[in-house]
Amino acid sequence: MVKTTTIELISKKEFELIRITKDILKAVEESGIQNGVVFAITAHTTTGILVNESLACLEVDIEKKLEELVPTFDSYNHNHFLPSYGAIGCNAPGHLKSMLCGNHAVFPIVDGHVVCGNAQDVYFGEFDGIQRRKVYITVMGE
Amino acid sequence: MVIDVHVHPTGYPQVAQDPESRAFRDRVYQRRTEDALSAPIAMTGKPSGGNGGGNKNFDVLFTRMDHEGIDRFVLLPLDLTTRYGGWIVSNDEIEQIVAAAPDRFIGFASVDPYRPDALEVLEHAFKDQKLAGLKLHPSKQAFYPDDPMMEPIYKKCLEYNKPIMFHSGMSCEPDCLVKYARPVHVEEVAVKYPELRICLAHFGWPWATETAMLCLKYPNIYTDTAAVPMDSPEVFFRHIFTREWGPTWFEHNFADKVMYGSNSPRNHTHGIEKLEMRPDTRAKLMGGNALKWLGMEVK
Amino acid sequence: MVIDVHVHPTGYSMISQDPAERKFRDKVFQRKYDESKLPIAMTGKPSGGNSGGGNSEEVTFTQMDSFGIDRLVLLPLDLTTTHGGWIVSNDQIKQLVDFAPDRFIGFASVDPRRPDALEVLEHAFKDQKLAGLKLNPSKQAFYPDDPMMDPIYKKCLEYNKPIMFHSGMSWDPDCLIKYAEPINFEEVAVKYPELRICLAHFGWPWAVETAMMCLKYPNVYTDTSAIPMDSPAVFMDQIFNRTWGPTWFEHNFADKVMFGSNNPRHRSQRMMQGLEKIEMRPDTRAKLMGGNALKWLGMEVK
Repeated sequence: MVKTTTIELISKKEFELIRITKDILKAVEESGIQNGVVFAITAHTTTGILVNESLACLEVDIEKKLEELVPTFDSYNHNHFLPSYGAIGCNAPGHLKSMLCGNHAVFPIVDGHVVCGNAQDVYFGEFDGIQRRKVYITVMGE
Repeated sequence: MVIDVHVHPTGYPQVAQDPESRAFRDRVYQRRTEDALSAPIAMTGKPSGGNGGGNKNFDVLFTRMDHEGIDRFVLLPLDLTTRYGGWIVSNDEIEQIVAAAPDRFIGFASVDPYRPDALEVLEHAFKDQKLAGLKLHPSKQAFYPDDPMMEPIYKKCLEYNKPIMFHSGMSCEPDCLVKYARPVHVEEVAVKYPELRICLAHFGWPWATETAMLCLKYPNIYTDTAAVPMDSPEVFFRHIFTREWGPTWFEHNFADKVMYGSNSPRNHTHGIEKLEMRPDTRAKLMGGNALKWLGMEVK
Repeated sequence: MVIDVHVHPTGYSMISQDPAERKFRDKVFQRKYDESKLPIAMTGKPSGGNSGGGNSEEVTFTQMDSFGIDRLVLLPLDLTTTHGGWIVSNDQIKQLVDFAPDRFIGFASVDPRRPDALEVLEHAFKDQKLAGLKLNPSKQAFYPDDPMMDPIYKKCLEYNKPIMFHSGMSWDPDCLIKYAEPINFEEVAVKYPELRICLAHFGWPWAVETAMMCLKYPNVYTDTSAIPMDSPAVFMDQIFNRTWGPTWFEHNFADKVMFGSNNPRHRSQRMMQGLEKIEMRPDTRAKLMGGNALKWLGMEVK
């Protein structure tokens, strides 16, 4: 059996780490699936799904290091007008941060519970806010 | 030989200083005459003091020319007969000024191309008054340089081997549409009359790159430095010579085409000396190119 | 007070529900795709082009609050005689302004060739209380100094309303750039010296010509909504410090340049962040970001 639910949210900043762990646990519970896997998948190319320890200090470190690796102001080839898109592609840093973080996380489900470490939380990473965003939660199993 | 090719002698003593003439100039410039007349003497009297004033002699002017090492001034009149019923400095006044100091002044003529006797005025200016070139102001005189009406005038200049100083680009004056003075409107003149020596004044700003193109393509098109600055001349010249134009354009391409002009009495030229160039290029800029354009080169 | 003077609300969901209207927008912009065949995520996303329905008012308000943008000037476009419709109508602008009068300043548009142009404009100013007029000489295919325009300019003066002119390049198809060259506005400025006009986008590629217009004519303004070839930070540096001399803006045009983003081509805050990279005094920045707009709009508190 496969069940997919969608989380919709509006990010509030250009860079934002939004915890979605509870949404995942809820989706698994509502799916009734006892054994299998759960995926959290972002629908976008300037966001990411991260698994990490939910501490404010670490959130600052993640933001700072990603900014160092992919500075907001730099020379990006994407910084030009995209006629097919009707807009300027000025969000290369969002794309590159997305690449570094990946588009999904996956966890096993055993006896109806999501198996994860004590320190593990799941973040939706917004790297190109403020926008309306979607995350798909797909539960597979029986 | 240092020649300032762009001087408006509106404040010189030979230029009519009667209240009526000054009121006429104030009307053309849309200035309030009463302000000009009640201005302190120091303001109306000095050579650089606006367009309507009048100093009593050339002592100050020549002292300053000597101090700055400027040998000649090219003096520009303006005929606005059909649009305003008068002149901002007439050919006759230019003739008188030149007669007063022929070793200092090179006098140009002007002619309103719409006046029925335009060719006679010009013939008289060149033949009898011996004036050295023609000043035209497409914006203030309201004509396009490539208007066929202009052809007899250009032919007359060629007949007497006289250059033309065109106002080009922006003028701050009122009732003076900038559109007429866009550099590219002179292109067909240059094509039709390749021997005619033309100066597009003021770098044709805001079209300095268009002016560069015309100087590049047409051998007898020149420009002058009498640009209207947005800042100190020093900053503005550096912008034109090294940024708006590429930093090598002037010396590699236009060393024979740019002439020193001050737009006096606005008189904004300091800063040219700070531009880096070879001494021979500077000599051309400050006078050599002007001699060539004027047809006064010693061969 | 921070005002973005150049916003196209084409993607706002409130005015984008009608499929026929979305199709018209796609036709005008010559967009090739079939919206119905796009994946859900694409039609829904806020930045997705001009005709989509996803740029909800909620996202816009969140962006404004987060980045400290107080007002957006919303621009419609009347293409009745050239294309048979509007890219956002005056009525839709009125609807948006009524929905959030503390967020939006609504402009009118009018196709100068429609026989009832003056009535449309009179209605927009008198009854709909719209704050100014948007005209696009390129897309509407007219020269600004065409005598046909005189009654329209007079109507703006009668109601003391400013005009936002598209100037310089536009990416739109069927949209000749020649009409929108800055020098073509000269005779408008000479004939109607009291009329406050903005030559948008720095009139690029004629940014120096635009500088000349701002220098010579007291009621000519420009805005920063330039179509960049790079990020706003890089392109604004090019205009402010290279195409213009580095001192021109602060010494000559501090009262003439207005913050405009061209949203949705740019999000407002992206342009804002680009402008933050340009060095200027705090009082100059305050003028750029809103003070000049208030003056141009005629909303200055005296």
